[in-house]
Formats: sequence, C-alpha cells, structure tokens
Amino acid sequence: MAEPRKPDASKTKPELGEFSDRLKNLSDRIASEKAERKEAEKPAAGFQGAKDYSKGYRLASEFVAGVLVGGLLGFGLDKLFGTLPLFLIVLLLFGFAAGIVNMSRAANRSQPSPEELAKMPKPSALDDEED
Amino acid sequence: MAGPIEQFEIKELGGKLFNLGGYDISFTNSALFMGAAVATITGILWLASRRAEMVPGRLQSVGEMWYGMIRGMVDNVLGEDGKPFFPLVFSLFSFVLMANMLGMFPYFFTVTSHVIVTVAMAFFVIGLVIAVGLYKHGLGWFSLFWPAGNINFFMKAFIAIIEVISFLSRPISLGLRLFGNMLAGHIVLKVFAGFVVSLSALGFGGALSAIAPMAMAVALTALEFLVAFLQAFVFAILTCVYLNDALHTHH
Repeated sequence: MAEPRKPDASKTKPELGEFSDRLKNLSDRIASEKAERKEAEKPAAGFQGAKDYSKGYRLASEFVAGVLVGGLLGFGLDKLFGTLPLFLIVLLLFGFAAGIVNMSRAANRSQPSPEELAKMPKPSALDDEED
Repeated sequence: MAGPIEQFEIKELGGKLFNLGGYDISFTNSALFMGAAVATITGILWLASRRAEMVPGRLQSVGEMWYGMIRGMVDNVLGEDGKPFFPLVFSLFSFVLMANMLGMFPYFFTVTSHVIVTVAMAFFVIGLVIAVGLYKHGLGWFSLFWPAGNINFFMKAFIAIIEVISFLSRPISLGLRLFGNMLAGHIVLKVFAGFVVSLSALGFGGALSAIAPMAMAVALTALEFLVAFLQAFVFAILTCVYLNDALHTHH
C-alpha cells in the first residue's frame, strides 16, 4: 500500500521539507503498524502444538486402524471356515500394508487447516447473497 | 478422590425405566449431554439469526463465521455437487464441536469420549459414502479398489485387497481418533489435577510443589480447548474428503 507512494515522498521539492518529513513519519508508522499486525496474526504457539499433536495422532490412528481391520477380517474369515491361524496371519500382514498405505496417503494429502480455509476465496453463493 | 476413569461412567438418570424389545433405553447422562449439545447449538444459532442485520453484531458474526467456515470447506473439497451434503457436514461438525466443548466444563460428561458414539457417527459417514457411490456410479464404483495401469493381474489383486482393507479402516480411524483424543485428554487432565489435590494434602511443602502440576493442568486445559475444536474440524473435513471419493471417482 505504502510502496507506490515512496518515490513521491523522496522526490518532493525542498520547500516542502516539513511535509516530506511528515510523510516519511507517516509511512514509518504504517510500516511498523503493519509489522505489528503481522505478528499478531501469527498463530499462537499453543495452536501450532495442538495441530502437530492432532497430525501425529491422525497418522498413528490410520496405521492402527489398518492393522485392526486386517486382523478382524482375518479372524472373521477363520471363524467362518474354521482355519484359525491362516487368514488371521495373512490378513494381518495385509492390514499392516493397508496401514502403511493409509499413513502415507494421510501424510501426502495436505489437509487445509482452519487458517488456510479462512484465506481461501469465499464461496460464490455467499457473495451472491450480499448483493 | 475420584479416579481418572470415573468421569466416563454412564449413569442412568432416574433409574432403569425403559425397556424396549429387550433393549435398555434408559435416559443416561450421555443422552442428557447429547441433548444439551443439540439444544446449545440450536439456541446459539437461533439467537444469532434472530435479528439479521447488515452490520452483524457479535453473536451474528459467530453464526456467520460458523456457517461460512463449513460452507467454504464443503465448496472447496466437494465442489458444486457437494451442496446436498452441507447440512450433514454442518450438523456433524456442530455436534462434535459442542459435545467436545461441553465436556470441558468441570463435572460435565464428554459424549465424544465414548467409542460407540464416535464410531457410530463414522460408520454412518462411510455407509453414506458407499450408498452415494453406488447411487452415482452404479456397480462401477467398485473399480475404485481396482488399480489402473499396466501391471500383472496378481499384483493388481494383491493391491486391491490392500485397498479394500484401507477403505474399511477409514471409519475405524475416523471414530478412534476423535474418541482417543477426547479420552486421553480428559484422563491426563484429571491425573494432573489429582496430583494437585494429593500433593496439597501433604502440608505446606506439598502445597508449594503442587504449583508445578497446577501449571501443567492450566496449560493442558488450553490445549484441550484447541484439540476439541481441531478434532471437530478434522472429523468434518475427513467426512468431506471421503464423500469426495464417492462423488468423483478418479480411478
């Protein structure tokens, strides 16, 4: 905002000395205000901690769920066919693989965080209602 | 002093009153707080939208942000065909958020700290995903599990099994995550608060050293508020992501 005006401030004629000083003062104040605002808008450290915690929990639960479902499916099939350890072992291994797949997908899928969502363009329907 | 697990106990309010076809449907503290969560959401949103003004007041701003955030999420993840699912996602988010937040009050019961509640919601979401997928794409929707590309048939079958297990594990991870976060948070909070009580019973020195767990309990309370919000948010956005699989099958 203040950027395009700067050359004007430096180009002012000497007889406008007082005004150019005031202009410089103002642009300094705007710059410091902006810096302060940027600082205030940064997410608090606690929020970052909670986000990391939830991300870690997310990856762990994806993996555990994969193994759990594999094991349960295997156990169910074994109960059905009476071949107790066979499917349990095989599907437990498949479940392990599924857990890894889940985890790598969850890590790759960049989930928009609340702040990122707020910055995204507003849905068009909401804008229409304002008119 | 109450143990850390006692807060999760289900109590029948007014005794075992109802019995329907062999099922016990007594009114429990869990049911009470589910009702309280719904009543609070309805109350806040009713108050917020009662007098709509051009320049929103505080409560109206809260209501608009609440709506706008979920609306933006559904529009961004699901796109235009996601509109019919907005009420569902909004309800899920609001319910989970309010249940988590009500649980943060002392002596209140946390509905989402019970695995049956969260997993039931997760299974409902995945059931809906399957239903919508079959409705939109017919049986061809199952090709979601069959890998594309020029590879050996046995390799494809192998990957398909992993994909099916991966899909089936979604409701488990969705439900377990919310449940685990709320359960673990409340237990840890209770344990640290318990340290304060038992330390301060030891006289002056004990009371002095109780400052450390007290500070921890305060910090954890702040963290729990954030977790309560984030988990509701994650639940809602994962609902959108999974629904996206049903609406737009890419494979």
